[in-house]
Amino acid sequence: MSALVEIENLRVAFRNDDGGYNDAVRGVSLTLGREKLGIVGESGSGKSLTGRALLGVLPPYARISVDTMAFDGIDLKSASPKLRRSLRGGRMGMILQDPKFSLNPVMTVGKQIVEAIRIGDRRISGSDARKKALGILEAVHIREPERVFSLYPHELSGGMGQRVMIGMMVVREPDLLIADEPTSALDVTVRTQVLSILDELVTRRGMGLIFISHDLNLVSKFCDRVIVMYAGRIVESIEASRLSEATHPYTRGLLSCLPQIDGSLEPLPVLNRDASWAGAA
Amino acid sequence: MLSIQHLNVEFSGKLAVRDTSFSVEPGESFGLVGESGSGKSTILRTVMGLNANWNGSISVDGLDVRKTPRKQLAKVVQMVFQDPYSSLHPRYVIGQQIAEPMKINGIANPERRTAELLELIGLGAKFQFRFPHELSGGQRQRVAIARALALNPKLLLLDEPTSALDVSIQAEILNLLNRLRKELGLTFVIVSHDLAVISYMCERLMVMRNAQPVETLTREQLRSGAIAEDYTKALIAAA
Repeated sequence: MSALVEIENLRVAFRNDDGGYNDAVRGVSLTLGREKLGIVGESGSGKSLTGRALLGVLPPYARISVDTMAFDGIDLKSASPKLRRSLRGGRMGMILQDPKFSLNPVMTVGKQIVEAIRIGDRRISGSDARKKALGILEAVHIREPERVFSLYPHELSGGMGQRVMIGMMVVREPDLLIADEPTSALDVTVRTQVLSILDELVTRRGMGLIFISHDLNLVSKFCDRVIVMYAGRIVESIEASRLSEATHPYTRGLLSCLPQIDGSLEPLPVLNRDASWAGAA
Repeated sequence: MLSIQHLNVEFSGKLAVRDTSFSVEPGESFGLVGESGSGKSTILRTVMGLNANWNGSISVDGLDVRKTPRKQLAKVVQMVFQDPYSSLHPRYVIGQQIAEPMKINGIANPERRTAELLELIGLGAKFQFRFPHELSGGQRQRVAIARALALNPKLLLLDEPTSALDVSIQAEILNLLNRLRKELGLTFVIVSHDLAVISYMCERLMVMRNAQPVETLTREQLRSGAIAEDYTKALIAAA
Protein backbone atom coordinates (compact mmCIF):
# COMPACT_ATOMS: atom_id res chain seq x y z
CA MET A 1 0.00 0.00 0.00
CA SER A 2 1.65 3.23 -1.12
CA ALA A 3 1.33 6.16 1.22
CA LEU A 4 -1.24 8.72 0.14
CA VAL A 5 -0.28 11.16 2.84
CA GLU A 6 2.97 11.52 4.71
CA ILE A 7 3.48 13.96 7.54
CA GLU A 8 6.72 14.19 9.47
CA ASN A 9 7.11 16.30 12.60
CA LEU A 10 4.26 18.76 12.11
CA ARG A 11 4.13 21.68 14.52
CA VAL A 12 1.50 24.41 14.66
CA ALA A 13 1.79 27.34 17.02
CA PHE A 14 -0.27 30.42 17.79
CA ARG A 15 0.99 33.69 19.19
CA ASN A 16 0.03 34.38 22.79
CA ASP A 17 -0.44 37.67 24.61
CA ASP A 18 3.21 37.89 25.70
CA GLY A 19 4.50 37.81 22.16
CA GLY A 20 5.71 34.21 22.44
CA TYR A 21 4.17 31.20 20.77
CA ASN A 22 2.00 28.45 22.23
CA ASP A 23 2.39 25.12 20.51
CA ALA A 24 -0.97 23.57 19.64
CA VAL A 25 0.41 20.68 17.58
CA ARG A 26 3.79 19.41 18.70
CA GLY A 27 5.63 17.08 16.38
CA VAL A 28 2.91 14.94 14.80
CA SER A 29 4.03 12.34 12.28
CA LEU A 30 1.66 10.06 10.42
CA THR A 31 1.21 8.21 7.18
CA LEU A 32 -2.05 7.36 5.52
CA GLY A 33 -2.69 4.81 2.83
CA ARG A 34 -5.99 4.17 1.15
CA GLU A 35 -7.62 3.35 4.46
CA LYS A 36 -9.70 4.76 7.27
CA LEU A 37 -7.59 6.45 9.89
CA GLY A 38 -9.27 7.71 13.03
CA ILE A 39 -7.87 10.56 15.10
CA VAL A 40 -9.36 10.81 18.58
CA GLY A 41 -8.74 13.15 21.46
CA GLU A 42 -10.47 15.83 23.48
CA SER A 43 -11.16 19.38 22.32
CA GLY A 44 -7.90 21.25 22.10
CA SER A 45 -5.78 18.16 21.51
CA GLY A 46 -4.80 19.41 18.05
CA LYS A 47 -6.66 16.83 15.99
CA SER A 48 -8.58 19.33 13.86
CA LEU A 49 -5.51 21.52 13.40
CA THR A 50 -3.60 18.55 12.04
CA GLY A 51 -6.33 17.98 9.44
CA ARG A 52 -6.45 21.66 8.53
CA ALA A 53 -2.69 21.92 8.20
CA LEU A 54 -2.74 19.06 5.74
CA LEU A 55 -5.42 20.78 3.69
CA GLY A 56 -3.65 24.13 3.96
CA VAL A 57 -6.53 26.08 5.45
CA LEU A 58 -4.99 27.30 8.70
CA PRO A 59 -5.30 31.03 9.37
CA PRO A 60 -2.31 33.11 8.21
CA TYR A 61 -1.32 33.96 11.78
CA ALA A 62 -0.67 30.30 12.62
CA ARG A 63 3.00 29.37 12.60
CA ILE A 64 3.49 26.04 10.87
CA SER A 65 6.66 24.03 10.60
CA VAL A 66 7.01 20.54 9.22
CA ASP A 67 9.85 18.33 8.03
CA THR A 68 7.86 16.48 5.38
CA MET A 69 4.31 16.89 4.20
CA ALA A 70 3.37 15.09 1.02
CA PHE A 71 0.12 14.13 -0.66
CA ASP A 72 0.22 11.46 -3.35
CA GLY A 73 3.79 12.34 -4.25
CA ILE A 74 3.21 16.10 -4.25
CA ASP A 75 5.41 17.98 -1.81
CA LEU A 76 2.97 20.21 0.02
CA LYS A 77 5.70 21.95 1.95
CA SER A 78 7.05 23.72 -1.13
CA ALA A 79 3.80 23.77 -3.11
CA SER A 80 2.56 27.18 -4.20
CA PRO A 81 -0.71 28.47 -2.75
CA LYS A 82 -2.15 28.15 -6.25
CA LEU A 83 -1.29 24.46 -6.50
CA ARG A 84 -2.61 23.76 -3.04
CA ARG A 85 -5.80 25.57 -3.91
CA SER A 86 -6.23 23.46 -7.01
CA LEU A 87 -5.91 20.31 -4.92
CA ARG A 88 -8.63 21.34 -2.49
CA GLY A 89 -12.14 20.34 -3.39
CA GLY A 90 -11.18 18.09 -6.28
CA ARG A 91 -8.53 15.87 -4.77
CA MET A 92 -8.72 16.68 -1.08
CA GLY A 93 -12.02 17.35 0.61
CA MET A 94 -13.04 18.25 4.10
CA ILE A 95 -16.30 17.73 5.92
CA LEU A 96 -16.76 20.09 8.81
CA GLN A 97 -18.55 19.48 12.04
CA ASP A 98 -21.28 22.05 11.98
CA PRO A 99 -23.46 22.45 8.87
CA LYS A 100 -24.97 25.62 10.37
CA PHE A 101 -21.72 27.49 9.88
CA SER A 102 -20.32 25.79 6.82
CA LEU A 103 -23.15 26.11 4.32
CA ASN A 104 -23.93 29.39 2.59
CA PRO A 105 -27.04 30.68 4.36
CA VAL A 106 -28.36 32.72 1.42
CA MET A 107 -28.12 30.06 -1.27
CA THR A 108 -30.29 26.99 -1.70
CA VAL A 109 -28.48 23.75 -0.99
CA GLY A 110 -29.10 22.50 -4.50
CA LYS A 111 -27.36 25.54 -5.97
CA GLN A 112 -24.43 25.01 -3.65
CA ILE A 113 -23.96 21.43 -4.74
CA VAL A 114 -24.31 22.40 -8.40
CA GLU A 115 -21.67 25.07 -7.84
CA ALA A 116 -19.29 22.47 -6.42
CA ILE A 117 -19.92 20.22 -9.41
CA ARG A 118 -19.38 22.99 -11.93
CA ILE A 119 -16.14 24.17 -10.37
CA GLY A 120 -14.84 20.65 -10.92
CA ASP A 121 -16.25 20.26 -14.41
CA ARG A 122 -16.73 23.56 -16.20
CA ARG A 123 -18.22 21.98 -19.30
CA ILE A 124 -21.06 20.11 -17.64
CA SER A 125 -24.49 21.38 -18.70
CA GLY A 126 -26.86 22.94 -16.20
CA SER A 127 -29.35 20.13 -16.38
CA ASP A 128 -26.68 17.43 -16.05
CA ALA A 129 -25.23 19.17 -13.02
CA ARG A 130 -28.68 19.35 -11.51
CA LYS A 131 -29.23 15.66 -12.17
CA LYS A 132 -25.93 14.83 -10.59
CA ALA A 133 -26.74 16.96 -7.54
CA LEU A 134 -30.08 15.24 -7.10
CA GLY A 135 -28.33 11.90 -7.44
CA ILE A 136 -25.87 12.71 -4.70
CA LEU A 137 -28.67 13.91 -2.39
CA GLU A 138 -30.32 10.56 -2.90
CA ALA A 139 -27.03 8.80 -2.28
CA VAL A 140 -26.73 10.45 1.12
CA HIS A 141 -30.23 9.20 1.97
CA ILE A 142 -32.20 12.42 1.66
CA ARG A 143 -35.77 11.21 1.27
CA GLU A 144 -37.16 13.87 -1.06
CA PRO A 145 -34.17 15.17 -3.04
CA GLU A 146 -36.34 17.36 -5.33
CA ARG A 147 -37.81 19.22 -2.37
CA VAL A 148 -34.57 19.51 -0.41
CA PHE A 149 -32.75 20.78 -3.51
CA SER A 150 -34.62 24.08 -3.33
CA LEU A 151 -34.40 24.57 0.44
CA TYR A 152 -32.14 27.00 2.26
CA PRO A 153 -29.76 25.69 4.94
CA HIS A 154 -31.87 27.13 7.80
CA GLU A 155 -34.80 25.03 6.63
CA LEU A 156 -32.86 21.80 7.14
CA SER A 157 -32.46 19.84 10.34
CA GLY A 158 -28.91 19.35 11.63
CA GLY A 159 -28.74 15.81 10.31
CA MET A 160 -29.98 16.80 6.88
CA GLY A 161 -27.53 19.72 6.71
CA GLN A 162 -24.71 17.38 7.58
CA ARG A 163 -25.69 14.95 4.84
CA VAL A 164 -25.93 17.79 2.32
CA MET A 165 -22.41 18.83 3.21
CA ILE A 166 -21.12 15.29 2.93
CA GLY A 167 -22.83 15.03 -0.45
CA MET A 168 -21.19 18.25 -1.59
CA MET A 169 -17.74 16.95 -0.72
CA VAL A 170 -18.25 13.44 -1.98
CA VAL A 171 -19.70 14.48 -5.34
CA ARG A 172 -16.21 15.44 -6.54
CA GLU A 173 -14.91 12.03 -5.49
CA PRO A 174 -11.71 13.25 -3.84
CA ASP A 175 -8.71 10.99 -3.17
CA LEU A 176 -8.45 12.18 0.38
CA LEU A 177 -11.30 13.14 2.63
CA ILE A 178 -10.77 14.72 6.01
CA ALA A 179 -13.93 14.35 8.05
CA ASP A 180 -13.92 16.48 11.17
CA GLU A 181 -16.60 15.12 13.53
CA PRO A 182 -18.85 14.40 10.55
CA THR A 183 -21.47 12.47 12.48
CA SER A 184 -21.63 14.07 15.89
CA ALA A 185 -24.77 16.01 14.92
CA LEU A 186 -26.49 12.90 13.58
CA ASP A 187 -28.78 10.30 15.13
CA VAL A 188 -27.47 6.82 15.52
CA THR A 189 -29.66 5.51 12.72
CA VAL A 190 -28.66 8.19 10.20
CA ARG A 191 -25.07 7.94 11.39
CA THR A 192 -24.89 4.33 10.29
CA GLN A 193 -26.06 5.32 6.80
CA VAL A 194 -23.56 8.18 6.50
CA LEU A 195 -20.72 5.94 7.63
CA SER A 196 -21.63 3.33 5.06
CA ILE A 197 -21.43 6.02 2.34
CA LEU A 198 -17.93 6.96 3.49
CA ASP A 199 -16.96 3.32 3.81
CA GLU A 200 -18.07 2.63 0.27
CA LEU A 201 -15.92 5.47 -1.04
CA VAL A 202 -12.88 4.05 0.68
CA THR A 203 -13.36 0.49 -0.49
CA ARG A 204 -14.78 1.17 -3.96
CA ARG A 205 -12.72 4.16 -5.02
CA GLY A 206 -9.65 3.65 -2.87
CA MET A 207 -10.08 6.97 -1.11
CA GLY A 208 -8.05 7.77 1.98
CA LEU A 209 -10.12 8.93 4.93
CA ILE A 210 -9.01 10.80 8.01
CA PHE A 211 -11.83 10.56 10.50
CA ILE A 212 -11.55 13.04 13.35
CA SER A 213 -13.80 12.27 16.28
CA HIS A 214 -14.03 12.18 20.03
CA ASP A 215 -16.25 9.10 19.96
CA LEU A 216 -14.00 6.17 20.75
CA ASN A 217 -16.64 3.49 20.29
CA LEU A 218 -17.52 4.76 16.88
CA VAL A 219 -13.91 5.05 15.75
CA SER A 220 -13.04 1.58 16.97
CA LYS A 221 -15.94 0.11 15.00
CA PHE A 222 -15.52 2.15 11.84
CA CYS A 223 -11.82 2.84 11.26
CA ASP A 224 -8.87 0.60 10.42
CA ARG A 225 -6.34 2.39 12.55
CA VAL A 226 -6.63 4.90 15.39
CA ILE A 227 -4.32 7.66 16.51
CA VAL A 228 -4.92 9.06 19.99
CA MET A 229 -3.85 12.67 20.51
CA TYR A 230 -3.31 14.52 23.75
CA ALA A 231 -2.03 18.08 24.13
CA GLY A 232 -0.81 18.29 20.55
CA ARG A 233 1.05 14.98 20.48
CA ILE A 234 0.27 11.46 19.41
CA VAL A 235 0.26 9.37 22.58
CA GLU A 236 -0.83 6.11 21.04
CA SER A 237 -1.34 4.57 17.63
CA ILE A 238 -3.21 1.29 17.50
CA GLU A 239 -5.27 -0.94 15.24
CA ALA A 240 -8.91 -0.01 15.68
CA SER A 241 -10.03 -3.54 16.43
CA ARG A 242 -7.57 -3.68 19.31
CA LEU A 243 -8.50 -0.31 20.84
CA SER A 244 -9.86 -2.07 23.92
CA GLU A 245 -6.33 -3.34 24.53
CA ALA A 246 -4.88 0.19 24.46
CA THR A 247 -2.15 0.67 27.03
CA HIS A 248 -1.71 4.43 27.40
CA PRO A 249 -3.42 5.67 30.58
CA TYR A 250 -5.07 8.52 28.67
CA THR A 251 -6.68 6.16 26.15
CA ARG A 252 -7.71 3.86 28.98
CA GLY A 253 -9.20 6.81 30.85
CA LEU A 254 -11.21 7.89 27.81
CA LEU A 255 -12.52 4.36 27.37
CA SER A 256 -13.52 3.88 30.99
CA CYS A 257 -15.39 7.17 31.42
CA LEU A 258 -18.02 6.17 28.85
CA PRO A 259 -21.28 4.93 30.35
CA GLN A 260 -22.49 1.57 29.02
CA ILE A 261 -26.07 0.44 28.51
CA ASP A 262 -25.49 -2.48 30.86
CA GLY A 263 -22.71 -0.81 32.86
CA SER A 264 -22.36 -0.11 36.56
CA LEU A 265 -24.40 2.66 38.20
CA GLU A 266 -21.52 3.77 40.41
CA PRO A 267 -20.10 7.25 39.70
CA LEU A 268 -18.21 7.21 36.40
CA PRO A 269 -14.44 7.28 36.63
CA VAL A 270 -13.18 10.71 35.61
CA LEU A 271 -9.91 11.45 33.92
CA ASN A 272 -7.08 12.47 36.22
CA ARG A 273 -4.71 14.15 33.85
CA ASP A 274 -1.10 13.30 34.42
CA ALA A 275 1.41 16.03 33.58
CA SER A 276 3.75 13.43 32.08
CA TRP A 277 1.22 12.60 29.30
CA ALA A 278 1.87 15.94 27.67
CA GLY A 279 5.56 15.04 27.54
CA ALA A 280 8.41 17.27 26.55
CA ALA A 281 7.89 19.68 23.70
CA MET B 1 -44.12 15.50 39.84
CA LEU B 2 -44.79 15.82 36.13
CA SER B 3 -47.89 14.58 34.42
CA ILE B 4 -48.52 14.94 30.70
CA GLN B 5 -51.81 13.77 29.22
CA HIS B 6 -52.69 13.58 25.52
CA LEU B 7 -50.23 16.27 24.52
CA ASN B 8 -50.31 17.53 20.92
CA VAL B 9 -47.89 20.23 19.81
CA GLU B 10 -48.31 21.85 16.42
CA PHE B 11 -45.81 23.81 14.34
CA SER B 12 -47.37 25.53 11.32
CA GLY B 13 -49.88 22.81 10.62
CA LYS B 14 -47.55 19.91 11.35
CA LEU B 15 -47.77 17.91 14.55
CA ALA B 16 -44.40 17.78 16.31
CA VAL B 17 -45.81 15.80 19.23
CA ARG B 18 -48.87 13.60 18.82
CA ASP B 19 -51.08 12.25 21.61
CA THR B 20 -48.27 11.71 24.08
CA SER B 21 -48.88 10.87 27.74
CA PHE B 22 -46.50 10.01 30.55
CA SER B 23 -45.90 10.87 34.15
CA VAL B 24 -42.81 11.14 36.30
CA GLU B 25 -42.81 10.40 40.04
CA PRO B 26 -41.12 12.68 42.58
CA GLY B 27 -37.42 11.85 42.87
CA GLU B 28 -37.43 9.81 39.69
CA SER B 29 -35.15 10.27 36.72
CA PHE B 30 -36.98 9.78 33.43
CA GLY B 31 -35.35 9.57 30.01
CA LEU B 32 -36.64 10.51 26.56
CA VAL B 33 -34.80 8.88 23.64
CA GLY B 34 -35.29 9.03 19.90
CA GLU B 35 -33.97 10.45 16.67
CA SER B 36 -33.88 14.18 15.94
CA GLY B 37 -37.27 15.52 15.03
CA SER B 38 -39.04 12.86 17.10
CA GLY B 39 -40.41 15.53 19.43
CA LYS B 40 -38.47 14.85 22.61
CA SER B 41 -37.03 18.36 23.02
CA THR B 42 -40.36 19.85 21.97
CA ILE B 43 -42.01 18.19 24.98
CA LEU B 44 -39.52 19.79 27.37
CA ARG B 45 -39.89 23.19 25.75
CA THR B 46 -43.67 22.94 25.94
CA VAL B 47 -43.52 22.16 29.66
CA MET B 48 -41.42 25.32 30.09
CA GLY B 49 -44.00 27.39 28.20
CA LEU B 50 -41.74 27.97 25.20
CA ASN B 51 -44.30 26.69 22.69
CA ALA B 52 -47.69 28.30 22.32
CA ASN B 53 -49.61 25.97 20.05
CA TRP B 54 -50.45 22.91 22.09
CA ASN B 55 -53.38 21.07 23.61
CA GLY B 56 -53.76 18.34 26.17
CA SER B 57 -52.81 18.82 29.79
CA ILE B 58 -49.49 19.31 31.55
CA SER B 59 -49.14 19.60 35.29
CA VAL B 60 -45.97 20.09 37.27
CA ASP B 61 -46.11 19.34 40.99
CA GLY B 62 -49.89 19.65 40.86
CA LEU B 63 -49.83 23.02 39.06
CA ASP B 64 -51.60 23.27 35.72
CA VAL B 65 -48.96 24.75 33.40
CA ARG B 66 -51.54 26.68 31.39
CA LYS B 67 -53.05 28.44 34.40
CA THR B 68 -49.97 28.99 36.52
CA PRO B 69 -48.14 32.33 36.21
CA ARG B 70 -44.65 31.96 34.75
CA LYS B 71 -42.92 33.28 37.86
CA GLN B 72 -44.56 30.70 40.05
CA LEU B 73 -43.83 27.91 37.58
CA ALA B 74 -40.18 28.94 37.36
CA LYS B 75 -39.78 28.15 41.06
CA VAL B 76 -40.83 24.54 40.46
CA VAL B 77 -39.32 23.62 37.11
CA GLN B 78 -36.15 24.74 35.34
CA MET B 79 -34.39 23.67 32.17
CA VAL B 80 -30.78 23.10 31.15
CA PHE B 81 -30.13 23.40 27.42
CA GLN B 82 -27.91 21.41 25.12
CA ASP B 83 -25.40 23.98 24.06
CA PRO B 84 -23.62 25.78 26.89
CA TYR B 85 -22.00 28.05 24.29
CA SER B 86 -25.31 29.66 23.38
CA SER B 87 -27.37 29.35 26.56
CA LEU B 88 -25.32 31.83 28.59
CA HIS B 89 -25.36 35.59 28.02
CA PRO B 90 -21.96 36.48 26.51
CA ARG B 91 -21.73 39.88 28.21
CA TYR B 92 -22.90 38.97 31.69
CA VAL B 93 -20.38 37.69 34.19
CA ILE B 94 -21.17 34.26 35.64
CA GLY B 95 -22.37 35.68 38.97
CA GLN B 96 -24.87 37.95 37.22
CA GLN B 97 -26.34 35.10 35.18
CA ILE B 98 -26.91 32.97 38.25
CA ALA B 99 -28.25 35.84 40.37
CA GLU B 100 -30.65 37.12 37.71
CA PRO B 101 -33.52 34.65 38.35
CA MET B 102 -33.20 35.29 42.09
CA LYS B 103 -33.40 39.06 41.60
CA ILE B 104 -36.46 38.72 39.37
CA ASN B 105 -38.14 36.64 42.03
CA GLY B 106 -37.15 38.93 44.90
CA ILE B 107 -35.09 36.37 46.76
CA ALA B 108 -33.06 37.89 49.60
CA ASN B 109 -29.29 37.94 49.45
CA PRO B 110 -28.71 36.62 45.91
CA GLU B 111 -24.96 37.29 46.12
CA ARG B 112 -24.45 34.85 48.95
CA ARG B 113 -26.60 32.22 47.33
CA THR B 114 -24.71 32.64 44.02
CA ALA B 115 -21.47 31.88 45.80
CA GLU B 116 -23.06 28.85 47.46
CA LEU B 117 -24.35 27.57 44.14
CA LEU B 118 -20.94 27.93 42.51
CA GLU B 119 -19.45 25.87 45.35
CA LEU B 120 -22.22 23.31 44.99
CA ILE B 121 -21.55 22.69 41.31
CA GLY B 122 -17.84 22.41 41.91
CA LEU B 123 -16.47 25.62 40.40
CA GLY B 124 -15.98 27.81 43.48
CA ALA B 125 -17.11 31.36 44.24
CA LYS B 126 -14.11 32.95 42.52
CA PHE B 127 -15.69 32.10 39.18
CA GLN B 128 -18.50 34.64 39.63
CA PHE B 129 -16.50 37.48 38.07
CA ARG B 130 -15.58 35.62 34.90
CA PHE B 131 -17.26 35.86 31.52
CA PRO B 132 -18.58 32.76 29.71
CA HIS B 133 -15.85 32.98 27.04
CA GLU B 134 -13.24 32.48 29.75
CA LEU B 135 -14.73 29.09 30.64
CA SER B 136 -14.51 25.70 28.95
CA GLY B 137 -17.62 23.93 27.67
CA GLY B 138 -17.86 21.71 30.74
CA GLN B 139 -17.50 24.66 33.09
CA ARG B 140 -20.18 26.55 31.20
CA GLN B 141 -22.57 23.63 31.47
CA ARG B 142 -21.95 23.65 35.23
CA VAL B 143 -22.89 27.34 35.29
CA ALA B 144 -26.08 26.59 33.35
CA ILE B 145 -26.91 23.94 35.95
CA ALA B 146 -26.21 26.38 38.80
CA ARG B 147 -28.53 28.94 37.21
CA ALA B 148 -31.25 26.33 36.83
CA LEU B 149 -30.90 25.49 40.54
CA ALA B 150 -30.99 29.14 41.68
CA LEU B 151 -34.72 29.13 42.47
CA ASN B 152 -34.63 25.76 44.22
CA PRO B 153 -36.77 23.94 41.65
CA LYS B 154 -38.06 20.43 42.25
CA LEU B 155 -37.96 19.33 38.63
CA LEU B 156 -35.04 19.78 36.24
CA LEU B 157 -35.51 19.30 32.49
CA LEU B 158 -32.21 18.43 30.82
CA ASP B 159 -32.05 18.67 27.04
CA GLU B 160 -29.00 16.72 25.81
CA PRO B 161 -26.96 18.10 28.72
CA THR B 162 -23.68 16.48 27.64
CA SER B 163 -23.84 15.97 23.90
CA ALA B 164 -21.80 19.11 23.18
CA LEU B 165 -19.04 17.97 25.54
CA ASP B 166 -16.05 15.64 25.39
CA VAL B 167 -16.56 12.16 26.82
CA SER B 168 -14.21 12.84 29.73
CA ILE B 169 -16.18 15.99 30.60
CA GLN B 170 -19.46 14.15 30.05
CA ALA B 171 -18.51 11.77 32.86
CA GLU B 172 -17.90 14.69 35.21
CA ILE B 173 -21.23 16.36 34.39
CA LEU B 174 -23.20 13.11 34.72
CA ASN B 175 -21.59 12.45 38.10
CA LEU B 176 -22.42 16.01 39.18
CA LEU B 177 -26.06 15.62 38.12
CA ASN B 178 -26.41 12.35 40.01
CA ARG B 179 -24.90 13.87 43.13
CA LEU B 180 -27.21 16.90 42.95
CA ARG B 181 -30.26 14.72 42.45
CA LYS B 182 -29.41 12.77 45.58
CA GLU B 183 -28.43 15.78 47.70
CA LEU B 184 -31.30 18.07 46.69
CA GLY B 185 -33.97 15.42 46.11
CA LEU B 186 -34.52 16.55 42.52
CA THR B 187 -36.61 14.95 39.80
CA PHE B 188 -35.03 14.75 36.32
CA VAL B 189 -36.37 14.46 32.82
CA ILE B 190 -33.41 13.89 30.50
CA VAL B 191 -33.51 14.04 26.72
CA SER B 192 -30.68 12.25 24.96
CA HIS B 193 -29.97 10.34 21.79
CA ASP B 194 -27.39 8.28 23.65
CA LEU B 195 -28.98 5.17 25.12
CA ALA B 196 -25.93 4.46 27.26
CA VAL B 197 -26.29 7.85 28.96
CA ILE B 198 -30.02 7.27 29.55
CA SER B 199 -29.42 3.77 30.87
CA TYR B 200 -26.85 5.16 33.28
CA MET B 201 -28.92 8.15 34.43
CA CYS B 202 -32.59 7.10 34.33
CA GLU B 203 -34.81 4.58 36.09
CA ARG B 204 -37.41 4.70 33.32
CA LEU B 205 -37.34 5.85 29.73
CA MET B 206 -39.66 6.48 26.83
CA VAL B 207 -38.59 5.87 23.24
CA MET B 208 -40.06 8.29 20.69
CA ARG B 209 -40.30 8.24 16.94
CA ASN B 210 -42.18 10.42 14.43
CA ALA B 211 -43.69 12.63 17.16
CA GLN B 212 -45.14 9.65 19.01
CA PRO B 213 -44.09 7.42 21.88
CA VAL B 214 -42.95 3.96 20.78
CA GLU B 215 -42.70 2.33 24.19
CA THR B 216 -41.85 2.98 27.83
CA LEU B 217 -39.26 0.80 29.52
CA THR B 218 -37.70 0.48 32.93
CA ARG B 219 -33.93 0.44 33.17
CA GLU B 220 -34.11 -3.29 34.04
CA GLN B 221 -36.13 -4.03 30.91
CA LEU B 222 -33.65 -2.08 28.78
CA ARG B 223 -30.72 -3.93 30.29
CA SER B 224 -32.22 -7.40 30.21
CA GLY B 225 -33.42 -6.93 26.64
CA ALA B 226 -37.13 -7.29 27.51
CA ILE B 227 -38.06 -5.01 24.63
CA ALA B 228 -41.22 -5.26 22.57
CA GLU B 229 -40.64 -2.85 19.70
CA ASP B 230 -38.29 -3.44 16.76
CA TYR B 231 -37.41 0.25 16.59
CA THR B 232 -36.01 0.18 20.12
CA LYS B 233 -34.01 -2.93 19.27
CA ALA B 234 -32.59 -1.16 16.23
CA LEU B 235 -31.61 1.82 18.38
CA ILE B 236 -29.78 -0.43 20.82
CA ALA B 237 -28.03 -2.27 18.00
CA ALA B 238 -26.85 1.00 16.47
CA ALA B 239 -25.63 2.46 19.78
